[in-house]
Amino acid sequence: MFGTLRDLYAHRRLLREFVVRDLKARYVGSSMGFFWSVVFPLLNLAVYFFVFRLIMEVRFGDKMSPEASAMWMLAGITVWTAFAETISRSTNCLVENSNLIQKVVFPSEVLPAFLTVSSLINMMIGIPLVLLGVGFFILRGDTAGFVETASLASIGPLDGQIIDPGPDRTLRWGVSMICLPVLMLGQGVFTLGLGYFLSTLNLFLRDTYHLVGVMVTFWMFGTPIFYPVQLVEQARGGQFAFILDVNPMHWLIESYREVLLFGSWPQLELIGPFLLVAVGTFALGSAFFRSQKARFPDLL
Amino acid sequence: MSAKKSTHTDAERSTSAVVAKDVGKAYEIYDKPIHRLYDLILPGGPRCRHFWAVRNVYLDVPHGSTVGIVGENGAGKSTLLKLLTGVTQPTTGTIQTSGRVASLLELGAGFHPEFSGRDNIFLNCSILGMSEEEIEERFESIVTFSELGEFIDRPVKTYSSGMYVRLGFSVASSVDPDILLIDEALSVGDEHFKSKCVNWLNEFREQGKTTIFVSHDLGAVRSMCQHVVMLDRGEIIEQGDAETVADAYLKRMKERGNERLSMMNRGETEYPCWGTGEIEITAMGMFDAADEAAHVFETGKAFVVRLEYKALLDTQRPVFGLGIYRSDGTYVNGSNHNWRDTPIEIEEIRAGEEGTVEMSFDSMPLLGGQYYLTTFLYDHSKASPTAIDHREHALTFEVIDGAQHQHGLLYLPTRWRMERREGGEVSTTESLS
Repeated sequence: MFGTLRDLYAHRRLLREFVVRDLKARYVGSSMGFFWSVVFPLLNLAVYFFVFRLIMEVRFGDKMSPEASAMWMLAGITVWTAFAETISRSTNCLVENSNLIQKVVFPSEVLPAFLTVSSLINMMIGIPLVLLGVGFFILRGDTAGFVETASLASIGPLDGQIIDPGPDRTLRWGVSMICLPVLMLGQGVFTLGLGYFLSTLNLFLRDTYHLVGVMVTFWMFGTPIFYPVQLVEQARGGQFAFILDVNPMHWLIESYREVLLFGSWPQLELIGPFLLVAVGTFALGSAFFRSQKARFPDLL
Repeated sequence: MSAKKSTHTDAERSTSAVVAKDVGKAYEIYDKPIHRLYDLILPGGPRCRHFWAVRNVYLDVPHGSTVGIVGENGAGKSTLLKLLTGVTQPTTGTIQTSGRVASLLELGAGFHPEFSGRDNIFLNCSILGMSEEEIEERFESIVTFSELGEFIDRPVKTYSSGMYVRLGFSVASSVDPDILLIDEALSVGDEHFKSKCVNWLNEFREQGKTTIFVSHDLGAVRSMCQHVVMLDRGEIIEQGDAETVADAYLKRMKERGNERLSMMNRGETEYPCWGTGEIEITAMGMFDAADEAAHVFETGKAFVVRLEYKALLDTQRPVFGLGIYRSDGTYVNGSNHNWRDTPIEIEEIRAGEEGTVEMSFDSMPLLGGQYYLTTFLYDHSKASPTAIDHREHALTFEVIDGAQHQHGLLYLPTRWRMERREGGEVSTTESLS
């Protein structure tokens, strides 16, 4: 793990070169350019909001206004998009850059890293959008509706019979925003760890790339992004509640929501385990990557 | 291009730039890709076969020397170069290099096709471990050397092969390496840039730097290298001074080419042939200066084409002819025994007659390449000749140009004369061959 970090630091200029290149390609190449980072989550939001909230009428607590639930979804979508994009791009990154790996002495650990950093930066452009929305609702005074909304505090006993509405969770800003860098760092470490693991595995089993595409979709629907946490807890008498306990992305997204929407500190029960899992994933993923790195030119 | 800084202090202290001991590289060949994964996670492997691309290689390259690596396709030259560069790790043995290594492997190696030339320069220089200031400082000279002009801002995937080489060479030359590894990269590109590269290489060598290059160009090997290594099937079969090994390689290429082509030329029905068949060509062959049957010839050496015929019916005015085609189909030359200042005219060949037709060439004028021989036997008794036995591309032969004095299709005997005038003095130099 430390070896990888050391190598990344040694090649930080190269890393920056790749990140800048990637961001440029994102924004310069397309006609909408920069606006895609804003438009894309909004379009996603429109689709999911329409399906889950308007068609299926998923209940986001009794008092949550449609606008507030939209914000709630948007926070999740923004974080998830960055994560999912990095995972699927990282999986194929070694194959895509075989020209570099096979022909020159290339620090390949840079590849998943630049993808992670690039999409985190891209996410940073999406986050102000969420904040803008939150600000709009604060100014309008429409802060009702977040009572009873998802958070660990509202998770009741696993049988799901009684749901504790928890403390008053009104939409607001707080100094908790200073936690954002920690969350993003954790997200980066987790994503990169997975990226190292999957990119290496993809050399042994090229189907990994396709499998990851499907897995990411499964994972997305298994994470409360478009539906409230309570629904999972209540479904079939709490039979599926365990998926919340094994899903680090749920812990992360909940923490983001705490910070971005509710102005409160992320809950230690969520962010603590997430950071541990992130570091563990990174340690394992980068160890696997490093153990096979010398063989990359032969495996490609 | 790529570079690495060596950490082997042992080699630095010694006088050797590169030391390879018992180096071998085995590639794993899996019948099923999934077995690779099984080997990774399950016990009971390996489930693969090994292919040794390079084996038992010992090299000791002193600082400041120029070493050439020759060998046929698939002999392991490129693998060896990759091992020396450090792109792949040897399966057995050790490689020690001292100083900064830069390499020009294949076309466009190390370039990101989507990036512009400009971005690729930055990318490559960063990989090579140059600091930002260093890159800024050298950027202009790299661009100038490459002569890419406005193309520098276009993605390199739009580049021609010559432009790739120009960019690659410009970057590699700018990193100020101690050891340069070149894999036939110079064979592409226009003559102007080539000579620029050769000039740079000469300067580089004069500075006492080390060059290792893989080449098919025996002329370049002879003129530039002190030491030549010949590889065959991954092993060094001969190494020594340039002339000796280049000659040995030439001989070997001839032998191999003869084996290969004689196999090829045996399949008689594989080429188109037509004609009335009154006279049959029963045998044909090509022979070298020593009158040995051969399929590979050297530029400048004598050779003979010989045909045996047997007449089945009486035939009026038959004419034997010969056509030479280059492998790309270019018609190089055609002749027969009738169209000459002193023609051989045959009025009639009677049934049952046998004979030999011989066409001799004092000096092979063709330069290196593969060629086809077409034999004609035509009946010229009528207004328009009709084919008796026409054999299209009947023989395949190769020409090797060992001297490499000229480029192109043909060796043309030339004389050069230079007259230099300075003040009142005139000095003349002449070269007759």
